[in-house]
Amino acid sequence: MRGMKEMTYQHSESTRIVLRSLVRVICPPEAAPIADDIVAHMALTIGASPAVLQKLIGTGLTTYDLGALPRYGKRARSLSDAQAEAYYVSWEHGLTPLHVQFARAINQLMSLSCYEQPLMMEAVGFRPGPWIDEVRAKRLRVFAADVARQEAQVLAPDPLRPSKPEAR
Amino acid sequence: MVAARQALHEGTRPSGVITRHDIHGDLVVDADVLVIGSGAGGATVAAELAEAGYDVVVLEEGSYYQTRDFTADTSGMVRQLYRDGGATMALGNPPILYQEGRAVGGSTVINGGMSWRTPDKILARWEKEAGLHGIAKDLEAHFARVERRINVAPMDAEAIGTDNHLLKQGADALGWNIIGNLRNQNHCVGSNRCAFGCPTGAKQSSLVSYIPRALHYGARIFADVKVKRIMRHGKRATGAIGTVNGTPHHVTVRAKLVCLSAGAIHTPALLARSGFRTPSGQLGHNLSMHPNVKVVAIFDQPVTNWKGAHQAFQVREFQDQGLVFAAIGMPPSVLAMSFPHRGRQLGELMSRYDNMMLAGMLCEDTRTGRVRSVNGKPQAFYQLADEDAANLKRGVSLLSELLFAAGAKQILLPFHGAKDLHSADDARALLKANTPTRGWEVVTVHMMGTARMGADRSAAVTDAHGMVHDADRLMIADASLFPTPIGVNPMETIMALATRGAAHVIDNARRLLS
Repeated sequence: MRGMKEMTYQHSESTRIVLRSLVRVICPPEAAPIADDIVAHMALTIGASPAVLQKLIGTGLTTYDLGALPRYGKRARSLSDAQAEAYYVSWEHGLTPLHVQFARAINQLMSLSCYEQPLMMEAVGFRPGPWIDEVRAKRLRVFAADVARQEAQVLAPDPLRPSKPEAR
Repeated sequence: MVAARQALHEGTRPSGVITRHDIHGDLVVDADVLVIGSGAGGATVAAELAEAGYDVVVLEEGSYYQTRDFTADTSGMVRQLYRDGGATMALGNPPILYQEGRAVGGSTVINGGMSWRTPDKILARWEKEAGLHGIAKDLEAHFARVERRINVAPMDAEAIGTDNHLLKQGADALGWNIIGNLRNQNHCVGSNRCAFGCPTGAKQSSLVSYIPRALHYGARIFADVKVKRIMRHGKRATGAIGTVNGTPHHVTVRAKLVCLSAGAIHTPALLARSGFRTPSGQLGHNLSMHPNVKVVAIFDQPVTNWKGAHQAFQVREFQDQGLVFAAIGMPPSVLAMSFPHRGRQLGELMSRYDNMMLAGMLCEDTRTGRVRSVNGKPQAFYQLADEDAANLKRGVSLLSELLFAAGAKQILLPFHGAKDLHSADDARALLKANTPTRGWEVVTVHMMGTARMGADRSAAVTDAHGMVHDADRLMIADASLFPTPIGVNPMETIMALATRGAAHVIDNARRLLS
């Protein structure tokens, strides 16, 4: 079940291309094969965020893309690896706090999406699914009586409930 | 009197829960009591009044999920269970990221399950400063009822993970006071997914305690309904109108009493946009946030922070100075997004994820912010006070010292651009380092105080029971009521105040519910 905002947001083609070009700058090299998955995941995260933030990210990415033109004669999306790195650094330590904040925000969003990918989670040894299955089964097996007792207690009339209503 | 229903059984949606999929046009519903919000405050009031025999309707903006819906998909859970996907921020320097639950069960679905009574010194302060005479004694019985309902208990020893053992080891080495956390859980087995919906059902959130109870005693819960405004006739609240998410349909609830439990950000905003003004002018003011920061310690040995109970201990050595420390397990994605590193550096750092331990602190703040309405939506403004910033920085230094005592080899700080720490000496030297607050990463999940209760109607928004001053049949039951920050996790205080508020309604039913 997903929120309505999440279902309606999609990257524009331009946004997708610029984000795709940033994967090599922000994510570890081993994430390169899953760049498209990372960018697709970012759409889910952005889609759940407030509309104003979605607009800011879109506007920021357009500015980031076009901002490379004066220095490199081409858009950020078309820079070589070394140029892309240098250009991102120029924002990371940017002219204004807005540059810095934007670079940081994109770093955060993309890092989140990067380590939400199964390949990356597996690489760092994070395997929560089997762990959840294991402890859930253990709880039901070892503590079944207490679990049932608490479930009954949740619904049982409360002898400590305050005085009866004056009127109905 | 409403007849009791069958219990809520996992795997089936109880008939008292109505979602957007069930609503195919505008609806008008009558009830004795309308509760807006289904978290710690709203669910409690709903259950108490439903059990007393009243016809209760709950409107909840978020969706209805059950334990089986809570999976290992971290960001999927965040998108579903958190308001705005967790991207909510109080503006200030530094900005403070805050999180609110948005689901049936509210923030209790995503909190850590810490269950502490309001400290005595805080209740004494409330009695003295807010004129809430006798509240400490009065709340005792309500705390007891809440603790029984949500099964507040110490952790089973075998559920405690390595990260929490390390926290205790460090505190013991320094001779600091550390205590086992009391949590609303029934044999928590340490899945460490508290913040993403407990997938084992062990955490006794409102979703598996007060909500089933409310349903059992006949309450109806409309999920996916965002309240636009509270209806009024003069100063008397008469119900509310909401829209069903993703549809053009409206739900109108006409009620004899309205209880607002939308949290400290949305409660004042909803009151304001519904035209309620309080004589004190304090609505939306006095926002406290318990700002907190975290450090990441790297050990030589595996920590595997995602296995074991969330915050099994709390370091209380500095509680009198407004600081409480705890260990918190987090998935790699959440940690990665908190680091300034990127590219190859990020990969190298994250390769040590299994050796990482995350620890944070809660700071009892001294300055307050406020909630304003911007384009019809609530926006929090909060400026971290210099003395609170100094306290947080001191807390980072002390916590780092503890972690080095536990064997940490490196500590990453929440201060952008600050060098990592490698020794206890580094930790102590941090106090003299220049760390401008604009580069701090400050977060919170405790928003309080924006509709504070108090005896003096010229200084408070509600009376001692949460009834809104200068309004009729309108009550509040959430953390908005707190006259001051409380310095511990607020859930149990919210529930106890809600229980007390419901008892007040029952005792005054002739006036409030006729």
